[in-house]
Amino acid sequence: MASKKQGQRQVLESMYSVIALVFMLVACVELGDAASAVDVYRLIQYDISGVPFGSRLASLNHHASSLHFSPGADLSRTVLVIPVRELDLGFVKGTTDSDQNGGLELLKNKLIELEQSLIHANILYPVYFAFEDENVNAVLADIKKNDAAGQQATATTGGYKFVVSAPEPKKVASPVITNIQGWLPGLKADGDATQLPTIAIVVSYDTFGAAPALSVGSDSNGSGVVALLEIARLFSILYSNPKTRGRYNLLFGLTSGGPYNYNGTHKWLRSFDQRLRESIDYAICLNSVGSWDNELHLHVSKPPENAYIKQIFEGFTNVAEELGVKVGLKHKKINISNSRVAWEHEQFSRLRITAATLSELSVAPGLLESTGGLSDGRHFLNENAVIRTVKLVAESLARHIYGHQGKSIEIFANGSSLAVNPSYIRSWLDLLSRTPRVAPFLSKNDPFVMALKKELTDHTDEVIMQNEVLDGMFTFYDSTKATLNVYQVASVTFDLLLLLVLGSYLIVLFSFLVIITRGLDDLISLFRRPPSRKVKTA
Amino acid sequence: MTVFHFFNCAILTFGPHAVYYSATPLSEYDTLGTSVKAALVYLGTALVKLVCLATFLKVSENDSFDPSQEFLKALIGFIDVAGLYFALTQLTHRNISQNHKFQAVGLGWAFADSVLHRLAPLWVGARGLEFTWDYILQGIEANANLVFSISLAALGSLMWLRKNKPKTLIPIIYACAGIVATMPSITSYLRRGLGWHFPKVVGFELFTSLVMAFISWQLFSACQRPSA
Repeated sequence: MASKKQGQRQVLESMYSVIALVFMLVACVELGDAASAVDVYRLIQYDISGVPFGSRLASLNHHASSLHFSPGADLSRTVLVIPVRELDLGFVKGTTDSDQNGGLELLKNKLIELEQSLIHANILYPVYFAFEDENVNAVLADIKKNDAAGQQATATTGGYKFVVSAPEPKKVASPVITNIQGWLPGLKADGDATQLPTIAIVVSYDTFGAAPALSVGSDSNGSGVVALLEIARLFSILYSNPKTRGRYNLLFGLTSGGPYNYNGTHKWLRSFDQRLRESIDYAICLNSVGSWDNELHLHVSKPPENAYIKQIFEGFTNVAEELGVKVGLKHKKINISNSRVAWEHEQFSRLRITAATLSELSVAPGLLESTGGLSDGRHFLNENAVIRTVKLVAESLARHIYGHQGKSIEIFANGSSLAVNPSYIRSWLDLLSRTPRVAPFLSKNDPFVMALKKELTDHTDEVIMQNEVLDGMFTFYDSTKATLNVYQVASVTFDLLLLLVLGSYLIVLFSFLVIITRGLDDLISLFRRPPSRKVKTA
Repeated sequence: MTVFHFFNCAILTFGPHAVYYSATPLSEYDTLGTSVKAALVYLGTALVKLVCLATFLKVSENDSFDPSQEFLKALIGFIDVAGLYFALTQLTHRNISQNHKFQAVGLGWAFADSVLHRLAPLWVGARGLEFTWDYILQGIEANANLVFSISLAALGSLMWLRKNKPKTLIPIIYACAGIVATMPSITSYLRRGLGWHFPKVVGFELFTSLVMAFISWQLFSACQRPSA
């Protein structure tokens, strides 16, 4: 009796596992039934002091249409598929407030204007970016053909359905910005009690763009990061030997929070103690040094007549002449009451530290401009520009450190052991061009941040990482990447038609079989049965 | 593509079986038991075939036509015929005429075949959003298969259940039975060897099923005359 019960229980248990297996199989097989699945990247969603910007929704499930829709068509439940080269920007501006769904866009050049209008707009529907490939192009061609024939895709006319099932975007709770600093101490003579002067080289490494999963910022500011790493490498070779160690400390800073008024730099400077702050002779910041031809600009906030500024500028111009390039001086006063910080050196200047920014940009960028967005890709970058920047900065610094101003001695000559290494620059530029670096989506243990830390540790003596929370003015929302499923659907009318056809087929088959096997009379009698029964009972 | 489409394809695939049962005198003579028994025999046959295929067949990487493998598959297909023989002769049926016996057996056989081979893909595939013609074509194929099964059952009953047959017709009967039995191999050759697309193959199946049904009908009525 007990064994029978046990046997029954075992059978039940095995049945449960079989049922579970069936459910899993059903679920697994149902997952991959789209015509094609495309990786899509969502437009950024953020608030500045509570004012919403960017795309506010993530999931969509609508029929697809192209730009050639017939005028007067109802677009309220469609996804518009727009290749960037066909996009007319007035169209985007005109529809930012109307009730419309979805915009899948294919990337091409001339994105800057598009990016700016998208970032500063408040869009109430989901916007996604995707790369062109054969699948997407084939689907788009089909959609255009349907639209040209005047057949708008709705539930009753078939066509393509685009489905993105993304979770509701949530606020990123405490966006972390990580500053990394590396310290190369100078040569202290024995018995010398005073603090050695310090020169700082600072670069901001994070980006901001319309599609945070695609904002790789090769030029802004990937070029600056690579230049800093190469300069650190060269000086670490010089400083490794006490005979060639200079009498200046070198402080290398990789800061985050650049697009947000250089928030990270501000916090980093606040963390310095008084002695360090006073020992800094000057700081050089690098911003976008990757695509210039023969002119760089040195931006300063102290007046050009200032002695220190003159000295720095002369040092740069001397080396620039030898390299055959030009460096221009640009002065922009700081307005303390204005919270906008356009250049990184302004954060230093607000604390009375002499600083300047070397950049190919001649005009200060506005808030969230030139922050390494969609258009800033690897192919717009010129390696030689970065190499020339490294030479310029390294030579000027070295001449200042070793007291060779005015003399034409080339310390980092080509072919020497201190030559600038192009393959080092190239490999780091390639890595940076593949890594999106929007700060709120970079955790403090992100592999890229760890890689930067490791690289600085190789070149400097002491590396400190500082993790801070981004200031409350900016709020970000997650859900930056999703998968778009494209389904080819038939319309409801097709289904109804099919049902009609099948119904008539079955009826015909039934009649045919009845006629063949039982004779025509039987078929007719099927319809006359009720009256004949009445006759029989009566 | 939605449950509506699944419903449409389901009635295309399984509807004719029900219609056949109710339209012909099978329903009057209550031959459901025979059909059910034939379906069970089909299940057993399918299991045996699976085991044989797994044991003897090599798995090929590409989808091309390999004559030796196809020949082996055809041989294993004859297990089908053996199963049909078993269903027709060995099972105890109620007292129903030969005419209805083969129809009931063929019907049960075809129904089991449809359920086993076509229900699972239909359930999994036709309910998704993506639309393809495949499931409608599969339904048409199920219809053709029904006709084939009934013809094969008719020829089978002629071969094994009827004792006095006109001598001249015997080779024709066996030839037709052979053709119908090797139908699966022929269709797979068309699909893989000649590279026909699914709609073409289904059309071919439909056409040959009607032709074979007509031929076996003629043979059956020809054999019926002497005994009648």
